[in-house]
Amino acid sequence: MFQENVQILWNKKIGPSYYCIGLTCHEGYGMAKPGQFIMLRLPAKTAPFLRRPFSIHRIITTDDRATGIELLYKVVGDGTDKLSRCRQGDSADILGPLGNGFSVFDNYQRIAIVAGGIGVAPMLFLAIALQTKGVDLSKCTVFLGGNSTDDLLCRDDFNRLGIRTHVTTDDGSAGDQCFVTHPLEMALEKNRADIIYACGPMEMLKCVVGIAAKHKIPCQISIETIMACGMGACLGCAVEKKDDASIYMHACMDGPVFEADALKFN
Amino acid sequence: MTAKPNTRIDIGGLELKNPVMTASGTFGYGREFADLIDLNRLGAIIVKGLSLEPSKGNPPLRIVETRCGMLNAIGLENVGLEAFVKGKIPFLQKLTTPILVNIYGKTKEEYAELAARLDDIEAISGIEVNISCPNVKAGGAAFGAYPQTAAEVVRAVRSKTTKPLVVKLSPNVTDIAEIARSVEAAGADSVSLINTITGMAIDIESRRPKLANITGGLSGPAIKPIALRMVWQVAQSVKIPVIGVGGIMNAKDALEFLIAGAAAVQIGTANFINPRATLDVIEGIESYLIEKEISDISEIIGSLETNQIIS
Repeated sequence: MFQENVQILWNKKIGPSYYCIGLTCHEGYGMAKPGQFIMLRLPAKTAPFLRRPFSIHRIITTDDRATGIELLYKVVGDGTDKLSRCRQGDSADILGPLGNGFSVFDNYQRIAIVAGGIGVAPMLFLAIALQTKGVDLSKCTVFLGGNSTDDLLCRDDFNRLGIRTHVTTDDGSAGDQCFVTHPLEMALEKNRADIIYACGPMEMLKCVVGIAAKHKIPCQISIETIMACGMGACLGCAVEKKDDASIYMHACMDGPVFEADALKFN
Repeated sequence: MTAKPNTRIDIGGLELKNPVMTASGTFGYGREFADLIDLNRLGAIIVKGLSLEPSKGNPPLRIVETRCGMLNAIGLENVGLEAFVKGKIPFLQKLTTPILVNIYGKTKEEYAELAARLDDIEAISGIEVNISCPNVKAGGAAFGAYPQTAAEVVRAVRSKTTKPLVVKLSPNVTDIAEIARSVEAAGADSVSLINTITGMAIDIESRRPKLANITGGLSGPAIKPIALRMVWQVAQSVKIPVIGVGGIMNAKDALEFLIAGAAAVQIGTANFINPRATLDVIEGIESYLIEKEISDISEIIGSLETNQIIS
C-alpha cells in the first residue's frame, strides 16, 4: 500500500460523461491485482471532503515495470466532476492498491465476464491478467450492458485481446434490448462456463449470482460501496454476510471482490 | 541552529513524546496504518472502541459525506475484548508508542469489568472511557449526558484500575464544563473532547434518511470551531489536562487547540483523508515551536490571551 502524490498523464473524455485518466504511480503497482482499487484525492480541495474509490482499469508499463495506472470513471457527482476538469500535469494524491481483487486461475478456460455500465472499469485489467496467466481469451466472452450505446465501453479493447463481446442496452440503441444477464443465461445454457466474473449495479450482480447458483458455476463479483478510508479504519463500508447475521464484512478489506455466495442481497 | 524544542508532555500520568494522538475509531487497531507511517513517532494510539463482547455495529449505510465533514453511524463495531487481547495486543505491544484503549459498555458494570480486565495488560498504557458515542442505543452518550451518570461510570472504572483514565466527553449536552467537573471529581485523570455532534442527512428523492441509523455523528473541519470553544471552556473549568479533538486537519488546527488550553490533541477524521495527518501535525508543531523560538511545548498550552476577564 502506497500513499503518494502523482502526476496526471492524461484525462481523456471517451464518451458522454465517461473519462479515462492516466496517473503516474509507484513501481509496486506491478503487483496489483485486477479488482483492486485506489482512493484518490485532488490537492487542496475542501470539496469533496473524502477520497473517492476507483478500481484500477489498467496498469501502464514501461520495460515491464509499472509506471502508471489508468482509471475509467463516469461523472456522477461533485468528486468525479472535479476530476474530469483536471488536466495533464496536474497532481493527485492516491492511496493503493487496496482491497483483495479477483482470483485468476490457469485451469479455467471458458470464462464469462459480465459488466454493467461503469462496472467494466476493472474488467479490462482482469482480461489482461487472464491473458498473462495463459488463459486462451478466444474462449472468453464479455457481456456488456448499459442504458444505451454510449454506456458500452471498452468493446474495442476486449476485441483487440481476442475476446468476444456480447452487448445489450436498455433502450435498444446497440445490441439486444434486454438486461445483460439475459444473453449470459442463454450462453450458459448452450455452453457451460468454468467461472463468471461480474461487476456492475447491485441489481445486476444479484441476478448474475442467481444464474451462477442455478448453473453451479463459480462466480466472483466486485461491488461498489461508499467508503471513507479504503483501508479498514473507518468501517463505513459494511456489507451483509449471507449466512451469518452476527457480523458484517467490509468492502474495502474483505472485498471489493466477493465470492458469489458470500453476500446477502436485499 | 535552534535546539529541538521539547514536545514531551504528561497527560494525567501518561508520558507522551509529543501531544499528538489518534482518535478512537479513526485509526483501527494501529496496524492498518503500519505500511504508511512509523507508528512509533505518534504521541499515543487510541484504538477502536472496545466492548466486552464482539459488537456487530449498525447496518449500512453508515457514512455520509457532508460539507467540510462527514456523518458516521458505525455503532461501535468491534472484535470484543477476547479477540482484541489475542489478536491485536501482540502487534501493539511491540510498539514504543503508548496504547490507550477506548472502552464502552451498556451498563456501568460492563465498563468496570472491561477496566478490570485491561488493568492486567502491561501493553496498555491507559484507558479512554467512552461515555459519548451518539450511535448506540444503550450506554455511550446516555451516560455522558448527565453529570451524575457520567460520574458513576467513571467511579466504577476508577475502582478497577490504576491506569491513567481519559474520559471522552460528548458535545451534545447543555453544559460540557459541568460534565467535565463531575468526571474530574469522580477520578478522571484527563478529559478528551469533543466526540461527534449528532446530525443527519436526508435523501430528497426517496425522502428517507441517508443513514440507516437515521442520525449519526458529525466530524471533520465543520465541527472544529465548536470543539475549540468547548475545549477552551473546559480547560478553564477543570484542573486535569484536557485533550482537544474535533476537526483537526493540520498543525495550525492543532496549535489552536493547544493555545486554547488543550495539553494534547487527537487526530480523527483527517486520518481517512490523509493517513499521515498525525505525522504532518507533529512536524508542523515542531516547526512552529522552532520558528517562534519556544523551547518547550508547555509554554504554548493555554497561552491564549484575551482582553476579557473570565469570571
